[in-house]
Amino acid sequence: MSDDIHALSGAYAVDALDDVERARFERHLAGCSACQAEVDGLAAAASELSVLTEVPPPPSLRARVLTDIATVRPLPPLTPPRDVASDAPGDAGSTVPGRASTTQLPTTGEASRPTERAGSEVTAETETGRRGQADELADRRSSRGRGFTRGWRLVVAAATVAVLAIAGFTVWRQVEKDPQQAIADQVLAAPDAARYGKRLPDGATATIVRSTSLQKAVLITSGMPQPPSGKVFQLWLEDATGHMTSAGLMPSGGDKVVVLAGDATHSKAAGVTVEPPGGSDQPTSAPVALIPFA
Amino acid sequence: MDPMSRISVVPSGDDSPEGAGRPPQLEQLLRRAATGDETAFADLYDAVAARLFGLVRRVVRDPAQSEEVTQEVFLEIWRHSARFDPGKGGAMSWMLTIAHRKAVDRVRAAEAARARDEGYGASNQDVTHDSTAESAVERLDAERVHRALETLTPVQRQALELAYLSGYTHTEVATMLDLPLGTAKTRIRDGLIRLRDTLGVTL
Repeated sequence: MSDDIHALSGAYAVDALDDVERARFERHLAGCSACQAEVDGLAAAASELSVLTEVPPPPSLRARVLTDIATVRPLPPLTPPRDVASDAPGDAGSTVPGRASTTQLPTTGEASRPTERAGSEVTAETETGRRGQADELADRRSSRGRGFTRGWRLVVAAATVAVLAIAGFTVWRQVEKDPQQAIADQVLAAPDAARYGKRLPDGATATIVRSTSLQKAVLITSGMPQPPSGKVFQLWLEDATGHMTSAGLMPSGGDKVVVLAGDATHSKAAGVTVEPPGGSDQPTSAPVALIPFA
Repeated sequence: MDPMSRISVVPSGDDSPEGAGRPPQLEQLLRRAATGDETAFADLYDAVAARLFGLVRRVVRDPAQSEEVTQEVFLEIWRHSARFDPGKGGAMSWMLTIAHRKAVDRVRAAEAARARDEGYGASNQDVTHDSTAESAVERLDAERVHRALETLTPVQRQALELAYLSGYTHTEVATMLDLPLGTAKTRIRDGLIRLRDTLGVTL
């Protein structure tokens, strides 16, 4: 282990690393018990700071939480891995966010990638995507089926869900230069990458590729029109409860590859809405595309 | 500064001050929750909600979003309760870590969206002690932590607060504190190590 990578332990323990640094550190962490012990201790120390910020939540939150859990089955304990790629042994503790090897991304330097439509470009969604991590938890199991329609009643009716054959993206390789490219690259090449596509009414196509082992989703657009004047396209991930979390803004342009910010492991769908500049906290318009992960 | 010089693997001590004022049954409640025991989870909620919500609120700031994030946090805790590993730290720390990660994710996504259009300057952030400390219920715990923070150098303390309580990356912290790039992470780590050792945090 190098001093350099080891020195990230503190920043890692307080979630102060960007995606790429985190992936790199977690790779190191998986094989370094000294670092694991240090990270655990530093995270525990940091969590002590929360006594300074203690505030009781509004009483209504309790009922909402208890309603939530009544509809969700707790995951089973981690058992010895069936899938080596996604469930490393001995890290049940990695249910703590990014705390162990299961959250690592694969090596960024891998050589070749499946290729897709030439001319597409990877867009570095640097601000919104830089954080996109293996948000929390070590769980890779995808639970499915709980109604994702909530909040999305205006879903474009005509949309035909079609998993698009994606073959032909140009490989992008400047992994060292562009963190988002590296992540997109990994997601697209992941053994468990699953593709969900949608043809939009105006002929554009949007495809989501998700790797639950990497906890990330990537949006690939083709022929996407410009957003209405003075507006932006914003990306969303919808969770099991129907809650929409912003996954960043989409750069304008016809053919893009964008890493969705946030953990897509448990998301039920990804959506695109038209929002005011800067985006919104919650969708303020019906989605122009909604792509269920199913 | 050589970061390695300060490393000491956490000794497995016996009396953790952290454990002292904490409901000892958190881990037990988690274990029961893992079996689907909603009553246990309600008890767990009552025991930790203020800590979790307060931290989320400090990072996220927006009250409505803080509630949303906290709600998600509890759902994650419920779902993953069987995967809590006491060997890697206490239950409270585990839950706070989940809360912190989610809060940071939320605030960074929002900040990023804002930065795009407004040229939002993070470097103008006020660097102050946390303003919600007054409302801390556990005064003694708070005082203990305040005292521990005093043992940090001002830069260590600022770096740690900006990173942990405000959710900035170490790179952003370096810019905000006018530190050479790459040294903020060292300050954060050194500060955490000192905090850990002063508080006697053990696993």
